[in-house]
Amino acid sequence: MTRKIVSGLLGVVIALAVGALIMFFQGYEPFATYAALAQFSLGGIAPLTTTLKNAVPLVLTGLSAAIAFASGPVNLGQPGQLVFGALAATLGGLYINLPPALEIPLLMVLAILGGALWSGLAGLLRQAFDMSEFIVTLMLNMIADFFTAWVIAYPLMDHKAFSPMTPPIAQSGWMPDLGPLNSSVLVLIAAVAVMWFVFQRWRAGYEWRITGQNSLFARLGGCDVRRNFMAVMLVTGALAGLAGGLVVMGGPHRFIKGLGANYAWDGIMIAIMANNGLIETLIYGIFVAAIQTGALGMELITNVPSEIAQVLQAVLVLVIVATREYAALLFDRVAARRQASSRKERAA
Amino acid sequence: MNILIGLITGMISGATPILLAALGGTLTFYAGIFNIAMEGMMLMAAFFAVLGSFALHSWVLGLLLAVGGAMILALIFIFFSVVLNTDEFVTGIALNLFALGSTTYLLRQIFKVKGVFTSKAIVSVPNIRIPLIDKIPFLGPILSGRNLIVYLAVLATVFCWYLVFRTRFGLRLRAAGYNSNSLDSSGVRTSRMRIVSLLLCAVFCGLAGAYLSLGYVTLFAENMTAGRGWISLAAIILVDGHPFGIALISLLFGFFDGLGLFLQSYGVSSQFTSMVPYIATLGALYVYARRNRERERNRL
Repeated sequence: MTRKIVSGLLGVVIALAVGALIMFFQGYEPFATYAALAQFSLGGIAPLTTTLKNAVPLVLTGLSAAIAFASGPVNLGQPGQLVFGALAATLGGLYINLPPALEIPLLMVLAILGGALWSGLAGLLRQAFDMSEFIVTLMLNMIADFFTAWVIAYPLMDHKAFSPMTPPIAQSGWMPDLGPLNSSVLVLIAAVAVMWFVFQRWRAGYEWRITGQNSLFARLGGCDVRRNFMAVMLVTGALAGLAGGLVVMGGPHRFIKGLGANYAWDGIMIAIMANNGLIETLIYGIFVAAIQTGALGMELITNVPSEIAQVLQAVLVLVIVATREYAALLFDRVAARRQASSRKERAA
Repeated sequence: MNILIGLITGMISGATPILLAALGGTLTFYAGIFNIAMEGMMLMAAFFAVLGSFALHSWVLGLLLAVGGAMILALIFIFFSVVLNTDEFVTGIALNLFALGSTTYLLRQIFKVKGVFTSKAIVSVPNIRIPLIDKIPFLGPILSGRNLIVYLAVLATVFCWYLVFRTRFGLRLRAAGYNSNSLDSSGVRTSRMRIVSLLLCAVFCGLAGAYLSLGYVTLFAENMTAGRGWISLAAIILVDGHPFGIALISLLFGFFDGLGLFLQSYGVSSQFTSMVPYIATLGALYVYARRNRERERNRL
């Protein structure tokens, strides 16, 4: 546990140092930039709640990727599942108008079903035809992207808008603000808690984890590996779909052009940083959300382009993973040396 | 007749970037690296090609810079995956993200625009007219007048095949993937073969990226590779890396790419025609999976 924290912190520090170097060589002031970044993402109630709200899709897609990777299926389809969830929630919000207490859960369920539909398609292709979900989900991402682009440009287009987008969804489907905090954050916390419980405490989650570690062992132990594969695909698709639904319901309240592009690979990236741990995904997700949120404010006062956030994120992934694996090696070496010397003492 | 010629030339230009990226990827595939960074290498190359051609007023320098851009990613890949032993899948994904992020950033930083950069000052890679051949009816307009990089891609296919299957280097390359321990014990360092294969991959992906931004069109757009690197990965897997197989598959994808554009002129909306190559990839995967299954059944 301490190992994890030490190597994680070390990775973040090194990555930020690399980022500082990159900025320094372009003539920016790294410390002022980082200070602005922190100020606009964590300094005060409003920045903090914005960061948390922006963390919702990041953490949910991150959970999706983390659970998938830890259980075996290489589900890289979060971007496609997210836009399908968003599309399903938008459709519901456009054509169904119930009181908020019913509308909000309904739209969430629709989003979940939308995401699960798209990941289930990839799962089915794997089950029925042995088509590797790795490339299938990637291709389905592109197809989902073009499909939703078509939907918002033709059948559901809002003719009053300047760029392709749907009309706004029924107001009863908007995620309400609780003071400064958007209620989608509460949904996120609930989702993390439920997934942690399922994954760490339930039999199903245990079977998924075992299958991810050693599929043959799981099968010989009596797990229905094929059924678990499908279950994991559906659950992870549902999480990404929920992320899309919450983006629509909490933010622009409609499906706008390029909605998915912002979160495209972020979830996968966060899961990789978190080494597929669920709690770690939550932490790194909020961290990345802070960088993204802070970057917009930072641009205003330091004239460093906000796109630096994307560069920083990629550096973070590489450095955190490399540090973790390298640190594990070092820790092992130190432990081995200590063991060897204590054995020597005993012999003497 | 003209429609047919248009379809075939469309097929060739759609196939070229995928073919080049897949040839690069197949060298790393034979060397036993799970390399998924082609997408990022191409994107970097596409950016640096435009940068070089715009700033230095020469497409030759544009090409060189493109290869250099892809090379940066290859060097990072080597540092992390070969030197530090980081997981290749993770490194590849992070590098693709890095390419996307840094080209978007540099687009804003250098050209002060968001989304797309285009300018009259960008020199595109010329088309080559072959003197006698362009007189042949029907074949002439297909074989002649294509972009220089298209011809380079054809040469690259033969070069790759020769390199992998007919040279000592190729034997060692395949050994690095097939059985790295025996290669190491025969006195050739596997890691060195892998490093060379990644650098060669960067050269091919550099050409592929340059073709996108200086041949296919003359501009740089954010994320302009649009999954072509992933399609090239699918192409490699589908034919187990054989260069000639890759050429065939690339032409097939190019055909669907061109078909999409063709359907667009018949009033099918562009969103659906853009899906065609990805659906074709799914179709190809289906055929591959079925063939694999039958092969396994025959073995039993």
